[in-house]
Amino acid sequence: MENFSEVMSLFLSVDNFIAIAVGVLIGVVVGAIPGLTATMAVALALPFTFSLEPVTAILLLVGIYKGGMYGGSITAILIRTPGSPASACTLLDGYPMAQQGKAKKALKTALYSSVVADVISNVALIFFAAYLAKIALNFGPPEYFWLICFSLTIIVSVSGSSVVKGLIAAFLGIIVSTIGLDAVYGTQRLTFDNYNLMDRVSFIPLLIGLFAIPEVIDFYTSKVAPHIRTAVTGASLTWQEFKASLKTIIRGSVIGVIIGAIPGTGATSAAFISYSEAKRTSPRKDNFGKGEVEGVAAAEAGNNGVAGATLIPLLSLGIPGDVITAIILGAFMIHGLTPGPVLFQENLTLVYALFCGILVSSVVLLVVGNAAIKYFSLIADIPKTILLPIVLMFCIYGAYAVNNSTFDIGLMLAFGILGFVFNRTGIAAAPFLIGFILGPMFEDNLRRTILISKGDPSVFFRGPITWVFVLLTVASLAFAVRRYWVTRN
Amino acid sequence: MAISENQIADAPATHYGRLNPNTIVGAAFFILALVFLYYIIPNYISSPPFMQHPLLSPKFLPQVAGWSVLVLSLVLMVSGLRVPPEREPGDELRRGVSVIRQGLMVAAGVVYAFFFEQLGAIGSGVLACVLLFLASGLRNPLIYLLAAAFPVLVTLLFIYLLNVPLPAGELWEAWF
Repeated sequence: MENFSEVMSLFLSVDNFIAIAVGVLIGVVVGAIPGLTATMAVALALPFTFSLEPVTAILLLVGIYKGGMYGGSITAILIRTPGSPASACTLLDGYPMAQQGKAKKALKTALYSSVVADVISNVALIFFAAYLAKIALNFGPPEYFWLICFSLTIIVSVSGSSVVKGLIAAFLGIIVSTIGLDAVYGTQRLTFDNYNLMDRVSFIPLLIGLFAIPEVIDFYTSKVAPHIRTAVTGASLTWQEFKASLKTIIRGSVIGVIIGAIPGTGATSAAFISYSEAKRTSPRKDNFGKGEVEGVAAAEAGNNGVAGATLIPLLSLGIPGDVITAIILGAFMIHGLTPGPVLFQENLTLVYALFCGILVSSVVLLVVGNAAIKYFSLIADIPKTILLPIVLMFCIYGAYAVNNSTFDIGLMLAFGILGFVFNRTGIAAAPFLIGFILGPMFEDNLRRTILISKGDPSVFFRGPITWVFVLLTVASLAFAVRRYWVTRN
Repeated sequence: MAISENQIADAPATHYGRLNPNTIVGAAFFILALVFLYYIIPNYISSPPFMQHPLLSPKFLPQVAGWSVLVLSLVLMVSGLRVPPEREPGDELRRGVSVIRQGLMVAAGVVYAFFFEQLGAIGSGVLACVLLFLASGLRNPLIYLLAAAFPVLVTLLFIYLLNVPLPAGELWEAWF
């Protein structure tokens, strides 16, 4: 009861509610603007969280994440441009519906499916995160070492079209993560005697550089594409139609939760698995791909079911499930918090206050999503010629704000150029970020394991937990290799 | 699956030739990895005189990563030579872009990177926004009022609402 009142006093703050509302709104707006992504929005919002309380800061970012997931489907349905890779499945039926004059129905289906999936995902997060964190309390450095190895297999799934390029990016990220003073010996590594690099490469300039600046550079090094305008028309979703899709939505949500809880599998695969499962079992399977309400519902339930579940490995094990949760992990660290089992021991009230906020975010998504459908044309008609100079300004101010240093502006622009080169050469930036985040964790746990075992390699296989992670790592790699060969052939 | 010489020669315009992004990127990373392994690591990572275990060396992880990049870039280069990748639909949009447009973008980047503290957040923001609006060929003078308004608004947002200090501008401080 004492804990409950502490949680409530931490959660029931006006700032938290404003953060959730603003976060979801930013997410939906950014997601609805073609070319801007939720990842970019979360990266840009990070510097704004410096002066906020940890709960408020995390809720703002989670709000953007959830809003962005839904916002991405708006452009997928209306202009056949998925705002995020996860929304690619939504356009299969959403866009044909829009062409048939049922854009409003498609958008409402996407919204209600997203909200239901989000609630189910949040409930799963609340139930499973604490349980998993309790198990993780038994982990020592060898167990964490293998957990990080397993998590590094995420790289394969976020590598985009080329696994080789993705792996190169990941190893480059690992190299950049080693810049600074060595944690054990205190010797300089790759600092080139520059004191700005002694305390490692700053996370925020790297993040903004990789995910926001390339969009700006790409815009000014390409011809201006014609601005597409579209209107939201047609009848809305009826209760009967929603009820008929409810089974599909719940099934898609559960698929999303299971897939989201596994690091690296991602919302895109959840959306497609949910869609194909709905198609397989639906009595209207022939209508899939031609503008079927159930198709939109399945895709959106699948990808939004992932949103809460990706926070399960993040909060309980300290492992990011995807790129956005990797950024949220950075936000935790900026506020002096380390996600993982210790967070549940030392900051339990904070964790439960976060859970309350995450639940509220689903309701906010419903309200903001409805408004977004109504005012979509106002959002999407902001031309990039005006929008991107402002985005660049936010990038610069945000990078400078980290250490009040122009060095960070230069660093961000350098990573921006790297991200642009990555974009142009088909290299995904996400593996670079995953390598940058997991590299130091890998090295730290490897060294601690060697130190406690005095160099005895058998400690790496000391118990059932290590073996579970060894097997998971091998299975994940085998699955990735198999998928690579299937795709290639 | 390997592609024969004739197939490459007859490759349609939708594919790159042998000099494609994969071979170029692969070759570039291969050279960079060699420089990293044989010049940067020996000269810019110092190891302590005594170590309990070679895996504890500060050079261990950078070396593993460097060798991995070397091998993977070689794989990328070879695959680029054997199977030239397809051209992307967006490539057309990137041809024949005005040099002025690109130059103005670079100028905006230079303003932020080198004159941010001298001009201040507002001064550099206004100048960069004007340069970028010019790069897009915007002609409506009212639009340029936004270039002045947005930096002021965003700076005030950072300073007063978020308590994040931004530079006022050394140049203006010296004048006033």
